[in-house]
Amino acid sequence: MPETIEIQLKKGVLTLCVLALLNRGDSYAYEIASTLSDAIDMGEGTIYPLMRRMQSDGQVETYLVESPSGPSRKYYRLTDAGRRALEAQRTEWRGFVRAVETLLDDAGKPVAESAEQGVEQ
Amino acid sequence: MTRAEFMARLRQGLVGLPMSTAAEIAADYDLHFTDGLAAGRSEAEIADKLGDPSRLARELRAESSARRWTQEQNPSAAAGAIFGLLGLGALDILIMLPLVFPIFGAVLSVLISGVAVFVVGGIVAVAGPFFGGPGGVLAAVLLGVGLMGLGLFMGGLAAVLTKWLIDATVWYARLHYRVLKPALDSQPAYQA
Repeated sequence: MPETIEIQLKKGVLTLCVLALLNRGDSYAYEIASTLSDAIDMGEGTIYPLMRRMQSDGQVETYLVESPSGPSRKYYRLTDAGRRALEAQRTEWRGFVRAVETLLDDAGKPVAESAEQGVEQ
Repeated sequence: MTRAEFMARLRQGLVGLPMSTAAEIAADYDLHFTDGLAAGRSEAEIADKLGDPSRLARELRAESSARRWTQEQNPSAAAGAIFGLLGLGALDILIMLPLVFPIFGAVLSVLISGVAVFVVGGIVAVAGPFFGGPGGVLAAVLLGVGLMGLGLFMGGLAAVLTKWLIDATVWYARLHYRVLKPALDSQPAYQA
């Protein structure tokens, strides 16, 4: 079930993506939502519960910027805790991807060979 | 769905949250429509990409009650958090029950035996000296006080375990249920 794997993956990395995006520069919810929606095809509405949660976890903080047109806009920026979370999750993600890549490479080899490898290790 | 329909269903779903929180959330989504229209998208398109407003409201409510538990740590906040998450369907009841019942049962039995040991300790300390058990009066009193101390310790242990259990439940459910609505729509069989 490819869809299931996809959903689980996206669920897991959504926070990481937001952290990475904000590390590039402060942003507001609509911009974050539309960027991530284009990049990883997520529901735009879910960004708001996620941002509230990250805010209550102390990973992001908000400040208001006067807008030339309409009401002032709420910008998000990373806190120190947010930057630490980004570093930790980035390392975790890279390690995970490497491990999966290794498994996928091994899976391409003949069965007998990989069974022998298993015995050797 | 039009902007007005989306906002009405969202506000309806947010009933029960503090007024200021609900207003703040509604303002966020309202601004999302304004931004989207400015970017040249239609109301229907924006609403479609946002996802089901009732479901988003449930998620926001559950998030809000989970946060209240981390801040307040009292029975009413605990109940709010757990029922909020249940309403979300976040706890896989069928998977969780076989795991949860023994754990809660174990904590409860620690609590009950703690109370029993405390009571027995009290009886031994008070009545022991009059029955002249082995070791005399002092031994009986010390044994009784010792048992009461053990009872108190077990009660405290049960309280700590209970708090930890609720924390773990909230953590599990939050981890488990950050939803990507469109993906779920395209796959109705997936019921997390």
